[in-house]
Amino acid sequence: MLEQLRQRLQALQKPPGIEDNPGVLPLGVEAIDAPLGGGLARGALHEIAAPSEAHLAAAAGFVLGLAALSLSPSPRSNTSVIPGRERSERTRNPETHSEIASGFRVRGLTAAPRNDGEGAGRGEFVWIAEDMALTESGAPYGPGLDAFGLKPEQLVTVTAACTRDLLWAMEEALRCRAIAAVIGEMRGSEIDSVAVRRLSLAAAESGALALLLRATPPTDASTAATRWIVGAAPSSPSSGWECERAPRFAATLVRNRRGPVGSWILQWSDIDERFLLATHAQPVAAPPLDRPHRKVA
Amino acid sequence: MLSLWLRRLSTDRIARSRKQTAPLIVTGKRGNAELLVAVDDIAEQRGLSPGLALAQARAMHPVLDVVPEDAEADAALLETIADWCLRYTPLVACDAPDGLLLDISGCAHLYGGEDTLVADLSGRLEAAGFAFSIAIAGSIGAAWAAAHFGAPGNYACGNERSLLAPLPLAALRLAPETVASLARVGLKRIGDIVDMPRAPLTARFGSGVLRQLDRALCAEHEPLTPRLPVAPYVAEQRFAEPIAREEDVLAITARLAGRLKVALERRGDGARRIELTLFRTDGAVRRIAAGTSRPLRDPEDIRALFVERLAALADALDPGFGFDMARLSVTVAEPCQAEQIGIGGQEDAAAIGRLVDRLSARLGSQRVRRLIAQDSHIPEFAVASVPAQMTGTDDGWAAFRRYRDDVALAPRPMRLFTRPEPIEAVAEVPDGPPLRFRWRRALHEVIAAEGPERIEGAWWSEHGGPARDYFRVEDKTGLRFWLFRAGLYRDLLRGDLTPGTPAPAWFLHGTFA
Repeated sequence: MLEQLRQRLQALQKPPGIEDNPGVLPLGVEAIDAPLGGGLARGALHEIAAPSEAHLAAAAGFVLGLAALSLSPSPRSNTSVIPGRERSERTRNPETHSEIASGFRVRGLTAAPRNDGEGAGRGEFVWIAEDMALTESGAPYGPGLDAFGLKPEQLVTVTAACTRDLLWAMEEALRCRAIAAVIGEMRGSEIDSVAVRRLSLAAAESGALALLLRATPPTDASTAATRWIVGAAPSSPSSGWECERAPRFAATLVRNRRGPVGSWILQWSDIDERFLLATHAQPVAAPPLDRPHRKVA
Repeated sequence: MLSLWLRRLSTDRIARSRKQTAPLIVTGKRGNAELLVAVDDIAEQRGLSPGLALAQARAMHPVLDVVPEDAEADAALLETIADWCLRYTPLVACDAPDGLLLDISGCAHLYGGEDTLVADLSGRLEAAGFAFSIAIAGSIGAAWAAAHFGAPGNYACGNERSLLAPLPLAALRLAPETVASLARVGLKRIGDIVDMPRAPLTARFGSGVLRQLDRALCAEHEPLTPRLPVAPYVAEQRFAEPIAREEDVLAITARLAGRLKVALERRGDGARRIELTLFRTDGAVRRIAAGTSRPLRDPEDIRALFVERLAALADALDPGFGFDMARLSVTVAEPCQAEQIGIGGQEDAAAIGRLVDRLSARLGSQRVRRLIAQDSHIPEFAVASVPAQMTGTDDGWAAFRRYRDDVALAPRPMRLFTRPEPIEAVAEVPDGPPLRFRWRRALHEVIAAEGPERIEGAWWSEHGGPARDYFRVEDKTGLRFWLFRAGLYRDLLRGDLTPGTPAPAWFLHGTFA
């Protein structure tokens, strides 16, 4: 009841033109999708930071995985969403209605598919980095992107001379209808909160996924929808000396606008192009699923 | 054809920037002597002329303002004036060292006739403080001769013969030696050779003399080489009142683009490169160019490009007292098919193109790139990053995927260093994977490795480099790297290597997620 009222209030407060809810992007892992409310919110800014610069490659891999999910035409798995939550999501989501309604419209006369929650019709992503980042951590390598199910021809790379240009380019890219995901790679620890707010708004307007990749864990407060700290996790010892193909991530959700946070070991499966919850390399306690003090959020 | 001769270009340039009292002369070294190169009006009245030795001039007039010559500054000034003359015609050629040639055929009526145009040009040059003479004639040669040696004015086509006859032979733009040898046989004026038999002249003085004469007489066509390529589409606007605000500049850009659109549509073209030329009232000319990723016609898109270009200008658009003319030219046009709108894919492509254009306009086209697959097995050459505005339709990735499936290519890293970074590695067996390695001062303990994948160097090329053995390794913390050893120990042991070949060394080439 309270939630419903909050939603109504939010809808009233929103300036016109901003899409109400461009949908969510299920990660396909129930344990993560549940606290996120069905998945990562599209049309929002997500911060993904590496615990240290050495782990930047892993964080970048996680980001590419998310980009790959956002580019794929259909959600990977619906079963991962808790049924009850999904139902409430559907009743709340006005986009779902327009989706149904669009079925009755004459297809040829409608405009190109807008943000219909699935990101259909969008097929490109942009990777924006500062000049130095490419020499420091390497340039995106086409044949390697294939491992994430991303097509190199869908990528536009942009290098920016300074953080200001980077944020500007991100905002421009987010405003483009045909872009599904925008990755911004930042090395500096400082980021203007106004710029983050602008990015969130731009993302909300277009429904694209805005991913801010940061080389070091940020200390400042953030207005992003979620903040993750993602590092590499060792492969399972059972594999022995052989190197496993599937990359593993130790992902910690440190900030979530919806509340619950947690920590997981994930694995990217390049066969069905989705994240899987990895069996832990070493026995650990159950992933904490708690709601920490408000201050953290 | 209009020939403009700036008689005192060097001295006018100096006089514009300083208050001069004494006769001004410009000197330069010719051979071993310090000679006068240019003199101003006062100096000329006092009997000084170019070619005189400086010592001699000083002896004649003790009080002289002597300035060393600066040919580059003169040339730069001439180019500036040439740019400024673009307001009259797009066909402007520099006639070094101190003249300009303007092809005004078909342009003069925009100014209300040739005489009005000359009056306008003269007024502006006078205001800027230049000494000049202008002549209009049917051919480049005749106009040049009249401007430099005859009476400036407007000579109708067909009168070249009577115009040229009284002028000295130097007016034909001949080499001084040719003029001197013609003078030796008593031929001093153009009239002297016009009716002479042609064969003996050619036999004695070469074909150059008669060719120049024919060109001046319009008997042979002389091409004009414009300083800037002529744009296929041009729209321009003059203002009664100079404009200065950026919004006005953008508004006029959109209006000019609207006019260009009509012309572009008629010929089925779209703009790939657009240039905005702004003429400032004081004669400075500002050119701003923007490229596009696909043929463009829409005025709103063109305006949006210039919004970014103006925002990205390193030095702000300095309007001074305002711009009194603006010209928008399409310097590169390409056929542009009419597209049916409303079909998702194409609209998306257009949206991406617009984004690429905007980013390129603001950040520079070199910064916005796409990846294309190349036909190479060497990892760093297998992919090229090219400006997104230049990529064609075939990016080679389909072929790459076929190749990868055919040979079952081992996984490739997500990020690749443009230059492999040297590392210190310890391997258990010479040809095996490393046990631990040090990269960027950090030690990594390898717990898992896969490989080797041998990639031969380009043995057909001198700079091919040695064969590489690539390994995919994982360290204790789970970081994954792509390492290679350049060179094989086997070769080292066999002693196959030619002396001077470096011992096998380890490099880090990329990182996996």
